Amino acid sequence: MYSRYIEAVVGVFIIVGFIALGFLAIQVSGLSMDSQKETYRIYAQFDDLGGLSVRGQVSVAGVTVGKVSAISLDKKAYRALVEMEIYKSVDNLSIDTVASIQTAGLLGEKFVGLSVGGDPDVLADGDTIFDTQSALNLEKLIGAFASSRSSL
Amino acid sequence: MLDFFVKKGQATIDFVSSLGRSGIFLIRAIFGLSFSLKSLSGLIKQIYYVGVLSLVIIVISGLFIGMVLGLQGYSILIDYGSEQAIGQMVALTLVRELGPVVAALLFAGRAGSALTAEIGLMKATEQLSSMEMMGVDPIKRVIAPRLWAGFISLPLLAAIFSAVGIFGGLLVGVDWLGVYEGSFWANMQQSVDFQEDVLNGMIKAIVFGLVCTWIAVYQGYDSIPTSEGISIATTKTVVYSSLSVLGLDFILTAVMFSSI
Amino acid sequence: MGPSGTGKTTLLRLIGGQLKPEKGDIVLDGNNIAHFNRKELFEMRKKMGMLFQSGALFSDLSVFENVAFPLREHTKLPEDMIRDIVLLKLNAVGLRGARDLMPAELSGGMTRRVALARTIALDPELVLYDEPFAGQDPIAMGVLVQLIRLLNDALGLTSVLVSHDIPEALSICDHAVILADGVVIGEGPPGDLKQSGSPLVRQFLNGLPDGPVPFHYPANDFQTDLIG
Repeated sequence: MYSRYIEAVVGVFIIVGFIALGFLAIQVSGLSMDSQKETYRIYAQFDDLGGLSVRGQVSVAGVTVGKVSAISLDKKAYRALVEMEIYKSVDNLSIDTVASIQTAGLLGEKFVGLSVGGDPDVLADGDTIFDTQSALNLEKLIGAFASSRSSL
Repeated sequence: MLDFFVKKGQATIDFVSSLGRSGIFLIRAIFGLSFSLKSLSGLIKQIYYVGVLSLVIIVISGLFIGMVLGLQGYSILIDYGSEQAIGQMVALTLVRELGPVVAALLFAGRAGSALTAEIGLMKATEQLSSMEMMGVDPIKRVIAPRLWAGFISLPLLAAIFSAVGIFGGLLVGVDWLGVYEGSFWANMQQSVDFQEDVLNGMIKAIVFGLVCTWIAVYQGYDSIPTSEGISIATTKTVVYSSLSVLGLDFILTAVMFSSI
Repeated sequence: MGPSGTGKTTLLRLIGGQLKPEKGDIVLDGNNIAHFNRKELFEMRKKMGMLFQSGALFSDLSVFENVAFPLREHTKLPEDMIRDIVLLKLNAVGLRGARDLMPAELSGGMTRRVALARTIALDPELVLYDEPFAGQDPIAMGVLVQLIRLLNDALGLTSVLVSHDIPEALSICDHAVILADGVVIGEGPPGDLKQSGSPLVRQFLNGLPDGPVPFHYPANDFQTDLIG
């Protein structure tokens, strides 16, 4: 009887441990079943990444549709080439979609926001978005403001 | 003068041979666990003593550390208007570092010293010798289950520690200081990656579990069989375990998170 | 037998195979165990029992479980047979009624008796006793002395006893060996030893405070120490 009690308690302990692990996995790190979702790749070139990193979100109207999977330098155009994995279920991104690097909140993480255009043709695996807007660079903005003021 | 060097040389040789002995000991102990019903029930019993009985200290410490992180974090982040980031701060700190490390330190202090004392006492009362005389290998019978129990328990304890800590941070951040619950979780989920953060934290905990239990069990086995010897061994366990955990943590962090 | 620190316990451990000699042979039952590997020692130990000074009962098992331990380890006997054997052994030492107690609840003498029951659980051929009478009250001592002799005769054992308790040890042994400084200084049946001419043997057997083993620890001349 005594050892039955011990075995039961150890069993509970192990279960609780795995629940904690599960909690960390799902609630805390956002690992979800849909991360097994199928994705297709699209590319975009930017002048300035402004701190966007791999694993950054890609969203349309604030809804996550994918993530940044790789970042590299396009040696010919000297621009940043960003590779994104988009869920296959989001298959209606028009080819004139605009990709811009935005900030979530003032000091938040950088993410790629996509604004869909009106073209009936859609982006497929391996396509590149041409219309891009780089990250807002605070120094350039202030510089532009200062020089516009001085020209008054 | 020469005597001093001789002593130092002797001490170094002793240390190195002790390390070698403990290595051989470890190999024998890890592979000493057989899969019979008897030894599995022994293992379960040890998981109880080593893991379950450490739960109280782990849960209470986890809760308090999570709450302190929430409090301190809030007071720092509010200056930048980024108090919404409190969720990710608490979660990352716990999952990457404090969960495995503090759980390991507490484990070494509570379970490690208990193991050393128990085994040291068994050695002092000649129980290990008599087992050997009866043809039973004490390493297989006594040491192996305890080693595996520690190895299995610490990752679970570290996960529980982190989970409870995050809950503590939630209590302080959301319920007390008024951070919006939605952004608490949303920011956290975005910045904590399962593979990079949670899994790496668990790997750390597994490594710490092995090292702490190994040290605890070896110090007991190698102790001088007197009451003074046991108390020296127990102290050594806590000191060596703690230093090893902190040192290994640095190395593992450098390896795992160097891309950042 | 011999003065403290001459290596009596070490000798027992050598016989039991716990220590390996640097030189020389230890011949047991026709086999030289000095070169035995772990497996051969394991086989050897099934025929040997050792009673440690402190009893060395496993503190987390009951008296019954302690005595059953070697049976469970080395045999595949069914539980009811093991139960019978354990009860028999406990009865032989007079502690059948104590079978459900834990070692912590036993007195020193009782602990040793249970340990004795455990030692003979597998009906060994050789039993080694490490200072079994040390620190026992007269009654417990008397019980142990009797038991050791009776069991030896009843089971046809070979018993090797290490002890300082001269009258008790000599009363039950057939052949005594006295060690001092790592050498044998006298051996033979107890009667012969008592008549021995060697001063060291005399001092030891009679408990004389001064003799070959001096009373005074080496020191300077007393007068100069006091005055100077």
